Amino acid sequence: MSVAAVPAASVPSKPAARTRARRHSIRVFRWSILAPLIALLAFILLPVLFLQLYFSFHQWTVYLGSWWEADYVGLDLFKEVLSDPRFGWAVVRSLVFATGSTIGCFVVGFALAYLMAKPFRGQAVYYLIFILPMLTVPVVVAYTAEMLLYQSGPINDLISRIIGLDFKPMWLTDPNIALPTVMLLEIWNWAPFSFIIMLAGLAAIPKEPIEAAEILGASKWRIFWEVQLPLLRPVIFLALVLRFLEAMAEFPKTWALFQGGPGTATETLPVYIFLTTWQYFEISKGAAMSYIVMLLMIGIVLIAIRLLRREKSSLDSMYGQAAHAEPPA
Amino acid sequence: MSMTKTQRRRISATVRYSVLTLWAIIAFFPIYWMVSTSFKIDTQWFSWPPVYFPDPPTLANYLNVWFGAEQYAATQYAISSQKPLISMMNSFVIATTSTFLAVFFGAIIAYGVSRYRILSEARMFQLLMLRMIPPIVVVAPLSLYYSAIGLLDSRTGLILIYFLTTLPYAVWMTKSFIDEVPREVEQAAEILGASRWRTVFEIVLPLIRSGLVATFLFILILTWSEYLLALIITKTQVTTLPIELSKYQGTTEGRVYGRQAALAVGITVPLMIIGLIIRKHLARGFSFGMVRR
Repeated sequence: MSVAAVPAASVPSKPAARTRARRHSIRVFRWSILAPLIALLAFILLPVLFLQLYFSFHQWTVYLGSWWEADYVGLDLFKEVLSDPRFGWAVVRSLVFATGSTIGCFVVGFALAYLMAKPFRGQAVYYLIFILPMLTVPVVVAYTAEMLLYQSGPINDLISRIIGLDFKPMWLTDPNIALPTVMLLEIWNWAPFSFIIMLAGLAAIPKEPIEAAEILGASKWRIFWEVQLPLLRPVIFLALVLRFLEAMAEFPKTWALFQGGPGTATETLPVYIFLTTWQYFEISKGAAMSYIVMLLMIGIVLIAIRLLRREKSSLDSMYGQAAHAEPPA
Repeated sequence: MSMTKTQRRRISATVRYSVLTLWAIIAFFPIYWMVSTSFKIDTQWFSWPPVYFPDPPTLANYLNVWFGAEQYAATQYAISSQKPLISMMNSFVIATTSTFLAVFFGAIIAYGVSRYRILSEARMFQLLMLRMIPPIVVVAPLSLYYSAIGLLDSRTGLILIYFLTTLPYAVWMTKSFIDEVPREVEQAAEILGASRWRTVFEIVLPLIRSGLVATFLFILILTWSEYLLALIITKTQVTTLPIELSKYQGTTEGRVYGRQAALAVGITVPLMIIGLIIRKHLARGFSFGMVRR
């Protein structure tokens, strides 16, 4: 792969010395491009990963003297975390939250994109309004939600007026509703993401198969399921996978609004790690927990990357650049 | 026959407009509520029945939170004295610096990948892991490491970690722009004897100027609104706006919605302006350049 990308002049008839000099200059060029990235990884990521490993095997809390003198405890911390039912529930909550909000975002975003795919009067205005929630800072979403959702607040008031009944769920204090509340906020916040991705997808799929199906008299429903959906598959994967990963990491809204409560109702993985580390100051337990979550997430991300790599080539040909972007190998 | 077709078209247009309008209301109402609360007097922040239109509208919330003008408020609500302006400065410096670094180095790496394959496709996807693994799993060791090397509670510390975590977006997004540049221009420059670095800085990067601006603004959205890392790495010396906002939560004075809203509007408006400027590039940004319009 080292010479694969040399663009023009690697013609065999050139003197060998010149080719060698050229190769050398390319090697210098490549390494000087990579140097800052490597330096950054070595200076920040490596020490951090090392420390995380250290704390996972050494029992230390902020109340015990110097951290570098902490006792080696082997796998005890990992055993502690894995036998902690709160941790298990946090895993379940995170998965439920991420799955539910990903599906919610996708359904809303795809529906909107489908309805917006053909030009119509007022389209630009709708587009601008639809992307606004994505451009709101997540903490702001949380605090605004609090202003809207308290029991006698405007949302319950408006819904009560519209349906003509007393509608008073306790969005923020009922442990059964708290997690769904955060999910709804996540959907409000990030449905625009699925919307713009799916809109870009719908704009890029070829028109001919759809027109052909229309001429053959296929119903809109059949065209959607049998023509558009298969063509959109790579974009759909992308929208689902990226959203799911972001939802697994969601912290600002959950934390700012609930801090894990009421009870432990909104204690997702990021929240539980945060509580363990910064409220209970159990640095080592937090590190072991982080380590397990990191491995879990690496597993999920590797699957995600596999899916994305598989779809990437179809995406590239959809957006018509693969041909000239890849250097002749 | 044509009659039924017209009717069907009318029905489908009606369905479309009603669904879109419904979601437009859902999308817009919380933003409207935030803005309108920021103009409400204190008895209307949290009243029953809810007040939908500020009456009379007041600027007291803005003057109080942003400029510490205490005469505009009952003293119990006067939490701050000009702190938000300092936080805004911090946010601005941290977000623009880290974003600039990410786009600058990201674009150079992207050029190397696009033209010299310095990273294989597999490595490029591994780079994405820097973004996809939730930052919560490294923040504890990060804060201990930072406190050991003196970067805790500093702008530099936050800038470096934002630089690292937004670099994947920068590399992928700028690569999607560089891939669209025809190679003939560079080959011509090479034949004319331009060095490799001159080709990058004087030919390729200027050609994707608007793409670089879009990438910069896109990453600025992420760094401007980041919460978790800022919450942990900044303590007292350096706070960013999202952290400043969370200080208004659970104050002993109770609910200070009008003040929060005035601060929230100030944080959100720059972001919305940026987002609307680059609205055509948002899909490309969020999809790491894999989806384009």
